[in-house]
Amino acid sequence: MKEQSFGKPRNIGILKRLSTIREIIIFGVSIGMFILFFFASKGKFVSPAVINLISVAVSELGLIVIGVALLMICGEFDLSVGSVSALGALIVAKLYQLGLNPFLALVIALGVGMAIGAINGLITVKFRLPSFIVTLGTMIAWRGVIYVSTAGVPVGFRVIETYPAFHNFLVGDVGVIPVPSIWFIVFAIILMLILNFHWFGNHIYAVGGNKETARGMCINTDKTKVICFMLVGMLSAFAGVMRVTRIRGFHALQGSGIELMAIASAVIGGTLLSGGVGTIVGACLGALVITVLEYGLIMSGISAYWYKLFLGIIIILVVIINVVVERRRES
Amino acid sequence: MKKLPLMDVRSIHKWYGKVHAVNNVSFIVNRGEIIGLIGDNGAGKSTLIKVLSGYHRPNGGKIFINGEKTKINSPSDARALGIETLYQEQALVDSMSLARNFYMGREPVNCAGFLKKQKMNECIKILHHIGLSIKSPDLLVGSLSGGEKQGVAIGRAMYFKAKLVLLDEPTRALSVKEVQTVLDFVKELKEANISVIFITHNIQHVYTVADRFLILKNGEVIKDIKKDDITAEEITESLIGDRNA
Repeated sequence: MKEQSFGKPRNIGILKRLSTIREIIIFGVSIGMFILFFFASKGKFVSPAVINLISVAVSELGLIVIGVALLMICGEFDLSVGSVSALGALIVAKLYQLGLNPFLALVIALGVGMAIGAINGLITVKFRLPSFIVTLGTMIAWRGVIYVSTAGVPVGFRVIETYPAFHNFLVGDVGVIPVPSIWFIVFAIILMLILNFHWFGNHIYAVGGNKETARGMCINTDKTKVICFMLVGMLSAFAGVMRVTRIRGFHALQGSGIELMAIASAVIGGTLLSGGVGTIVGACLGALVITVLEYGLIMSGISAYWYKLFLGIIIILVVIINVVVERRRES
Repeated sequence: MKKLPLMDVRSIHKWYGKVHAVNNVSFIVNRGEIIGLIGDNGAGKSTLIKVLSGYHRPNGGKIFINGEKTKINSPSDARALGIETLYQEQALVDSMSLARNFYMGREPVNCAGFLKKQKMNECIKILHHIGLSIKSPDLLVGSLSGGEKQGVAIGRAMYFKAKLVLLDEPTRALSVKEVQTVLDFVKELKEANISVIFITHNIQHVYTVADRFLILKNGEVIKDIKKDDITAEEITESLIGDRNA
């Protein structure tokens, strides 16, 4: 049979080749923002205290973002991440008040997060409903549970006074590195390894890329999706517990609005809403861009009211860049 | 001793509510044989393929593989029996690399479940054997043409030692050159002693490669005939005649 040749490496310049890697572009955008805000804030933006603050904020958001990105790659959404993170925080705070060891309370909260993820996933796959709608419902429902159980009254969580080890375990510092950043990096590396190098990652990409093809290749598409939902639930609960430990108290609005920030971060990082495409590194960089924007504006003395406007513009710009990059890759 | 056919399908029925989509269909598939499954829209071709590939359970009938009665209740069952189904648009995932597609669902892994990348990269060599020279296993499948994708899917079926490949409209919407490429790949399957059921509307395409034709109408087999006993024109006339009947 006559041999045919495809996919020959083309003789293109290194800059042009780099310009087809989304993560490099997003990294460039975040560096550009750092430089911009450095000058706009007259140098305050890169002080050690602010860097520490940004690191912690990126980590708390990023933990949710990497889970959301994983789920989006699998072709589904989870709008309930904010409510689940708040519920995880509330569970730990309440159980601690009841005298339970906070480490045990953390394990219970993570278990509840996974269970909620499993409920989201099972409703989505068994009833063949759009996860966007299912998790919109559970987002509201779990927030309702939080209001009912707290009556809107904040819950104190001064675990640092009784269990400093728990505090240090979640939000302490190792040298100059905040522990939340270490957790974030550890989870990001684990998910990256799974997505890129494990058979389960191959199944996630396959299910998100074309569910019917994946099914035809004997991949259990429902199981793959439910596991992703469970991972998102667990990561959301973990981020919520981290936050309640850091700010030493829970309020009923904790985590509200974070679902859209998480989806925006994933999209900025190159995750496609249609599924099948995205990376954990990109999602992490997306979380970095959003956090840098928020803190950069504050440190530059610009009214916080501008934040949403700039965020909207950045999302659209980055999505345009992603589309251009995708076309270049295809060509 | 008479050689058993690879697949022996006996009196298969499939109902969708009140619609009798497949009605008492029986046929055999011999090893290395290419069967052209022909029929108009709604003749029951796709339903029959879905029954054989485990997507749908039949309401009646028996299937024998190598003389043994078997049940195909899921795509996994079909695959375990050596039956691979290739739908043109659904054979591969465009957003994934060639290597990831090639081993999808059958990834070579170590004891911890991590992919053996080196092994996966060997798909390039495997495809080379059937005449597809692709330089990188990381090439996105979306950048391949329809014919090339069919080649990759067929190469995959051969590598995983399929005994029977079900090709659903493999030449639809392809250019003339691409059609020839796909037909060459189908011949490669025959040379490897792999049986093929080639479902198509296009009689000219299937006539060049098929050994036997199974013509369906209203869910029933109206002709099961060897290539030597019928011309392409006669198949067309039989279909047109059926339409006019």
